[in-house]
Amino acid sequence: MTQRKWYGKDTGLSVRMLLTGALLMIVYLAFLTILSRYVGYTFLLIFAALFVFIQYYFSDKLVLMSSGAKLVTPQEAPQLHTMVERLCSIADLPKPRVAVINSAVPNAFATGRNQKSAVVAVTTGLLNNLNLQELEAVVGHELTHVKNRDVLVITIASFLSTVAWFIMRFSLYSSAFRGGNRNKGAGAGILIFLASLLVWLISYLLIRALSRYREFAADRGSAIITGNPSALIAALLKISGAMERVPTKDLRDVEGLNAFFIIPALSAGSIMNLFSTHPPIEKRIARLEAMERTREGFR
Amino acid sequence: MKFLDVLLGRTKPAPSKVDAIFSIATAYISMETKLELHHAGTAGICFKMVSSTSFDRLKGDLEELLQLARRETATDYEMVNDEHGYLWLVLRDPDFEDLVTTLHLISTTLIESGFGDQLLSSVFKFTKEGTATYFIYTYKRGTFYPFVPLKGKERDAQYELKLGTLLDAELPVEKNRETWYPLWELPL
Repeated sequence: MTQRKWYGKDTGLSVRMLLTGALLMIVYLAFLTILSRYVGYTFLLIFAALFVFIQYYFSDKLVLMSSGAKLVTPQEAPQLHTMVERLCSIADLPKPRVAVINSAVPNAFATGRNQKSAVVAVTTGLLNNLNLQELEAVVGHELTHVKNRDVLVITIASFLSTVAWFIMRFSLYSSAFRGGNRNKGAGAGILIFLASLLVWLISYLLIRALSRYREFAADRGSAIITGNPSALIAALLKISGAMERVPTKDLRDVEGLNAFFIIPALSAGSIMNLFSTHPPIEKRIARLEAMERTREGFR
Repeated sequence: MKFLDVLLGRTKPAPSKVDAIFSIATAYISMETKLELHHAGTAGICFKMVSSTSFDRLKGDLEELLQLARRETATDYEMVNDEHGYLWLVLRDPDFEDLVTTLHLISTTLIESGFGDQLLSSVFKFTKEGTATYFIYTYKRGTFYPFVPLKGKERDAQYELKLGTLLDAELPVEKNRETWYPLWELPL
């Protein structure tokens, strides 16, 4: 007997991800074509590759260090570990390591270069403010990030963007040092600088868009794994509500980690959506509500 | 397809496997004769509670099914909520084969009603000289693993490994030992 799947498919989301990826590829290919015309940028490519690889390879350690997250054993956090184990078992996913951050800001993140080295971290504020179902929903969201290898996807997507950034900085410095010393490479230098700037700008926006789509995908994943879209809605509302109440000083402490968080911490005067790593909370909730309606057989 | 799922960030629920449950009935012969493990007459199904109208309906259907089982095979039952938000259907029957059959039937009913996604595991309880040994069946993997809890949330890891090795021929034992997750405070 086949059952109608309540979670259905989100073809629109898949199409948008593919489109963003394709646009990035076009921008990068054009950039590489320009770069390949001029020698001397190979070492920058290698340098950037090394930089990005190190950042990717040590993503778990880097983020753990900068966030102050502490890995916890099943003895130290038995409830949390049981929750993660059971969700992993239900979704047939490998169990990531579990960490806790001592912070009143309710939030969570996932990191790690692969499923084996993955870490799911939650703040003490999250543990204290959310109930069992809501906490499960947030953990489900982070587990989906791990499953979707979002660290790897974003790393690959932003590699040439990083190269462009390096070249931009490099050509700025080199032309400043060269001063008025005119040579025939000057025109090429300006071209490279402008191309890098353009590539960096466009790819930055595209990567941000991709990151937002991955958030939607993680929300969907959480709803599917836990079978409870409403729990994630409640959790998102609680987290964003608590964010507004927490003093801004506390928020600025964690702002650097935004891309990893379930909801980014922003101090007052929120920036434009276009530059955000996360979609607006209303949009995330609207999508989850649609899932809940189909699950309950409405529409 | 898996590559595309990662690329597009698509999540699908893991399907539940039920047929391997029957292998515990076959393996029980060796467990009893060679390992002196006797079944304790209880087994349980554990699944995640989802607040949903259709879930409430299913609960009614299950109740009906369990009452039927009580009349047919004298299988007694009990519903227990655990502290992690999971529901346990605890079955009691002095006949091991009846226990396995009823458990399989309920699992199939749950899956057919569309709740297979939330199935966690089944647990069979055995005893040897008064100490409890459990065999946990994971629906998503379709495999069993032993669980021997000791006092103070400790496990007899050595005995668990031994059981896994010895029963490997008769039982689909979970190869990845990292997923031999403990289930403390079992309501069995």
